[in-house]
Amino acid sequence: MLEGGVVGQSVQRVDGLVKVTGESYFAADEKVPAALVLKVLRSRVAHAVVKRIDISEAEKIPGVVRVFTYADIPGENSYGIMVKDQPVLTDKIRFIGDAIALVVAENPDAARKGAEAVKVETEELPPLYDVWSAMAEGAPPIHDKGNILTVGRVKKGDAAAALSRADVVISRLYRTQRVEHLYLETEAGIAYPEHNGLTIKVSTQNPHYDRRDVARVLGLPMNRVRIIQTPTGGGFGGKLDISVQCFLALAAWKLRRPVRMLYDREESFIATAKRHPFIIDYTSGANREGQLLAVKVRIIGDTGAYASYGPATLIRAAVHATGPYEVPSVDIEGLCVYTNNPFSGAMRGFGTPQMAFAFESQMDLLAQALQISPLEIRRRNILRPGSATATGQVLSDSVGIAKTLAAAWEKACQVMPGLGGENQ
Amino acid sequence: MKKHGYGIGNMWYGVGNTAAPNPSGAFVDFLDDGTVIVLSGCADIGQGSSTVLAQIAAETLGVGLENVAVIAADTEVTPDAGATSASRQTYISGNAVRFAAEKAREQVIAQAAERLNLPADNVSLKDGQIWHQDEPTGTKIQDVIAQCRSKGILTLGQGWFNPVTTKLDPLTGQGAPYATYAFATQVAEVEADTETGVIEVKRIVAAHDVGRAINPQNVEGQIEGGCIMGMGYALLEEVAVNQGRIENPALSTYLIPTALDIPEMFPVIVEDEEPSGPYGAKGVGEPALVPTAAAIANAVADALGIRLYDLPLTPEKIVAAIRAAAEESELGLNG
Repeated sequence: MLEGGVVGQSVQRVDGLVKVTGESYFAADEKVPAALVLKVLRSRVAHAVVKRIDISEAEKIPGVVRVFTYADIPGENSYGIMVKDQPVLTDKIRFIGDAIALVVAENPDAARKGAEAVKVETEELPPLYDVWSAMAEGAPPIHDKGNILTVGRVKKGDAAAALSRADVVISRLYRTQRVEHLYLETEAGIAYPEHNGLTIKVSTQNPHYDRRDVARVLGLPMNRVRIIQTPTGGGFGGKLDISVQCFLALAAWKLRRPVRMLYDREESFIATAKRHPFIIDYTSGANREGQLLAVKVRIIGDTGAYASYGPATLIRAAVHATGPYEVPSVDIEGLCVYTNNPFSGAMRGFGTPQMAFAFESQMDLLAQALQISPLEIRRRNILRPGSATATGQVLSDSVGIAKTLAAAWEKACQVMPGLGGENQ
Repeated sequence: MKKHGYGIGNMWYGVGNTAAPNPSGAFVDFLDDGTVIVLSGCADIGQGSSTVLAQIAAETLGVGLENVAVIAADTEVTPDAGATSASRQTYISGNAVRFAAEKAREQVIAQAAERLNLPADNVSLKDGQIWHQDEPTGTKIQDVIAQCRSKGILTLGQGWFNPVTTKLDPLTGQGAPYATYAFATQVAEVEADTETGVIEVKRIVAAHDVGRAINPQNVEGQIEGGCIMGMGYALLEEVAVNQGRIENPALSTYLIPTALDIPEMFPVIVEDEEPSGPYGAKGVGEPALVPTAAAIANAVADALGIRLYDLPLTPEKIVAAIRAAAEESELGLNG
């Protein structure tokens, strides 16, 4: 194969110029004549059954065209990338922010007034705000199948026996927080009926998935739903889920009119996924030479009210829990737990930044206990070609951790004047 | 007092979905005038995938980048490329585009070999021309495409790729969940103010094994952005939830790093080529962020001699930890 072409060159981005000049049209910039606007009425309580929704006053407000509730969904009232557990408009509230009614109006002011005029009667259920109460015996189920959504396990060798033989054992409990993606562009889109079907232009990371769940919710064949991604101002995992898509679809399809929707920053915070907060109970054992013998890890992730990418986050966390190190015996468990908190989903790293905080702290603690340097303990344990991972996968090619460790250290010694000496 | 500390963060990251199929498809149309249309469902969300796919198509077809148009993420015209997630698009959609381009290329090469009376194995495409081994022949690619058309042959390719993985055993989790892994090491230098508890990140070195950097500047951009996001995760960011309610749903109350917080960053690209990747590439989107908080937390522990186990490492937590440690040592001395 000939080399020296365009691969490996820092060419200018194909979309660079229009982004710099401002010619790029984001979803909220789309010109849609006569488009109606949408506003979602969201719950103010965390856990409740909806007993009655009265839209009669709302529909009398000038400029309000229609108010939709769960009873108006033409197809299946549920979506989700991994588990179809999230309703478009709900009759059971599972978090503060759950969507109850969708107001379609001529202008934003009417939409807002319409949402305020919808009357919702609820019967509150005991809310579960932490994973412990959600997992407790007799806890009210947030979803039909109970509050422990998934349990992922990675087991190899006899970790308990290996830990009992270890010269040094370090056990610590780590906690990580819930964070927001905070892409500059909030969720936005437009929709209009076209060619016997429906077109949605939307800021998204996942257009083909969007098509599946929009078709499901509308009860339409997939080939009558068209999703066009608009230039997207960041996603970081937060635009993998459905946000505005099904609201736009429902209104445009039922009313046969163009519609538009834009979340403000507050709604973007409240109504979309966050990074999972983790509780990580981590035990590592090593021999006197600093060689890892075993790890025992229990991870609990709060996925909040809906699954979103929770199961994928927890299994990835479990699979990556050792870090890039060869560990002969592992006993790892990752639990994905429903609560009545804002839901957690995909965010850049899918559970691995949480795990890196834990496994890299453990490495430094082991090094300290054994009086070897943080660099040296890593050198002695990193994966190499031929190493087996925690899942028993033998790596053959492109195992670059020895190279990155050497390259990072070399560069750090050049640019960080205080580094070196005893650290090596 | 201000104290310096250094910390290492290593990471690995399986590229693509975990132990699940996640294919991507693409079409490549090599047009009469030697320009190219790439159709891919891959959503560019600012990370630069359309540029990378254009580079892969241009490289495979031997044309300049200006001759390639990428039509992306329109479900009526582009094939499913899966989600822009799991750091998968360069590796998986990059392969789909490469395979599609190779099919279009094969048609051109077969015609060129016939026309120039050369063995097809020695014919390649580069700089808009047909090459014989290491020499340009002077025959333009578009002339060969015209010849294809005159014979009723389209220079159109479709390709798709699904990484080779296995399921995980439900009880033991044993299996091969990813076809390839990205690796990285970051080293952070911090300055901790023991009075205020403020941690200033001074420098981050970030060495990332990306297999092959299709576009080195894009890779560096991902690394720098990831380090800053990771710094926010380590030190500042937290969605405060009280009784199920988000208390800080605004840019004024949810703190992220600003230009004033950004450290000196030194991205280092390591290329340990992945044989199954397009031109050896893996991925970098998420790895850029994964070890940053770990490296910063280790640097803070190095600076203070005190380790914290709860992210983020806010000034309040740092000051409380310093006080607790001081009280403990005082008790120890007195007792």
